[in-house]
Amino acid sequence: MTAPFLVARNIAKRFGALTALADVDLEIRSGEVLALLGDNGAGKSTFIKILAGAHPPSDGELLIEGNAVAFSSPKDAAASGIATIFQELALSENLSIAENVFLGRELKRSIFGIPFLKRAEMRQRVDGLLQELDAHISDPEAPVGSLSGGQRQAVAICRALNLNARLVIMDEPTAALAVAETRKVLALTRRLAGRGCAVVLISHNISEVFEVADRIVVFRRGRKVAERLATETNHEEVVSLITGAHPDVRALEKTN
Amino acid sequence: MLVACLLAIAIFSVASPHYATPGNAVTVLRNSVELLLIGLGMTLLLAMGGIDVSIGIVMGLAAIAIGRILGADGSPYVALVAGPLVGALLGCVTAAVVVQGRVPAIVGTLGLLGVYRTAVFALLGGQWLSGLPSSLTDLLATTVLGIPVPALVIAVAYLTVWLALRRTPYGLHLLAIGNSEEKARLSGIPVIKVRFLTFVISGVLTGIAATFYVATYRNVEMSIGSTSALDAIAAVILGGTSILGGRCSLLGTVLGVLLLRILQNGLLLIGVPSLWQPVVTGVLIIGVLGFEAVSNRLPLTRFQRARA
Repeated sequence: MTAPFLVARNIAKRFGALTALADVDLEIRSGEVLALLGDNGAGKSTFIKILAGAHPPSDGELLIEGNAVAFSSPKDAAASGIATIFQELALSENLSIAENVFLGRELKRSIFGIPFLKRAEMRQRVDGLLQELDAHISDPEAPVGSLSGGQRQAVAICRALNLNARLVIMDEPTAALAVAETRKVLALTRRLAGRGCAVVLISHNISEVFEVADRIVVFRRGRKVAERLATETNHEEVVSLITGAHPDVRALEKTN
Repeated sequence: MLVACLLAIAIFSVASPHYATPGNAVTVLRNSVELLLIGLGMTLLLAMGGIDVSIGIVMGLAAIAIGRILGADGSPYVALVAGPLVGALLGCVTAAVVVQGRVPAIVGTLGLLGVYRTAVFALLGGQWLSGLPSSLTDLLATTVLGIPVPALVIAVAYLTVWLALRRTPYGLHLLAIGNSEEKARLSGIPVIKVRFLTFVISGVLTGIAATFYVATYRNVEMSIGSTSALDAIAAVILGGTSILGGRCSLLGTVLGVLLLRILQNGLLLIGVPSLWQPVVTGVLIIGVLGFEAVSNRLPLTRFQRARA
């Protein structure tokens, strides 16, 4: 087994008196799709926000390839190769696909010390990425506001790839999608892992998770309560882990 | 927009014999100079999802600085620098309150409006600065290659801002922030830097406007700039820039300013007292926003129906 890309140790997050996350240990490996499951408020979103640099953890540490890292902003996380595709997609609807893919990291040439955009080159790069992903988007100049939900996911994935992301976090990528689009996004997810990316997927759809995930981690009430290989568990067990009906979870919750 | 301008011109030409004269056209253009510059800054602010309702009084304070320099027989070149400098400084103050202080722009600049207005009263001490020497006027009332200096400055300002908006990362970042500040932050955009810079740019443009104001009128009155912010906001949204941010049109702002000035001038010439001017501006703002709200709602429902 390869060394994990990212290791989270004892991660905790408190908002005032509220403990959103406690004692989370997790390993994330390259080329693997890791699914995070759990009820609303189980701590999944808080956890990925910590990975994404949007929240600093209250406790614990993150190691990337064995080195401790501390993110003070999403930019730091991005610099370490972590890209997050949020549920509410952080895309600017008023900008074009190419502009969105490069937003915050534009290609530019300096003329008299003033940075000017290299629009043609950005457009070409995005065209290449869209074809590679087989995203069926012909015009990188189209405004993102005119795209369907699945196409927007593809743009967000392009953005992540363009940042040379080695860990892509996807927060419910299929939540608002029609069936055909969902299939495409799941295929994209597998293709990302196939390229050697580590993928963390948050989803509420358990059959979807079984379709793409290699490993499944269940969160409950701010704690990680289970970790299973997808091949070694089944739909029913995962549901019981999420709801807390599983004996392992009961035992755990009694001791805490 | 162009159609609206031409239509307004046509109507007033019929209504008033004094309207369609070269002299009056020059008056309208002359009256548009300051608003074109302030409106340019306001376009950037609104596109970014910001606003500055104190901007007219910022022009007043810059004008007082210029007037004081001229009144003390200072060099007109010093006066030339003073306007943009004071504008930039006050832009920094506004940015400090709104951006660093995280006070919503509308409330923060409303607070500053109160402070600045009192500052104008205190500085002027109840008296106009009037009878200023003509040194600055002589400098700016000239032409370069047959083009009046104000027109040249405005053209350069619009061209520069256009390039910044469409050809540099700054423009993308500004529009992204206007669309959603949170998303822009998540995309790794230096939101605070971009917002701060934009308030300063708006201040500098307003300082330049103040320079032309003093050069033209050679006095600074108590009520200076009191309708400028309202006029600028009206002109900018008339021109198609979204009050909610994320979308802007520089050409639209030019046409919006001209239309506003054409209307104000025309109404004056057909005998409507100037007291009514802010009413016209206010009605325009409400009209445009009302129209936008209605027209936004219609395609949205159609779109939703198509998806369902």
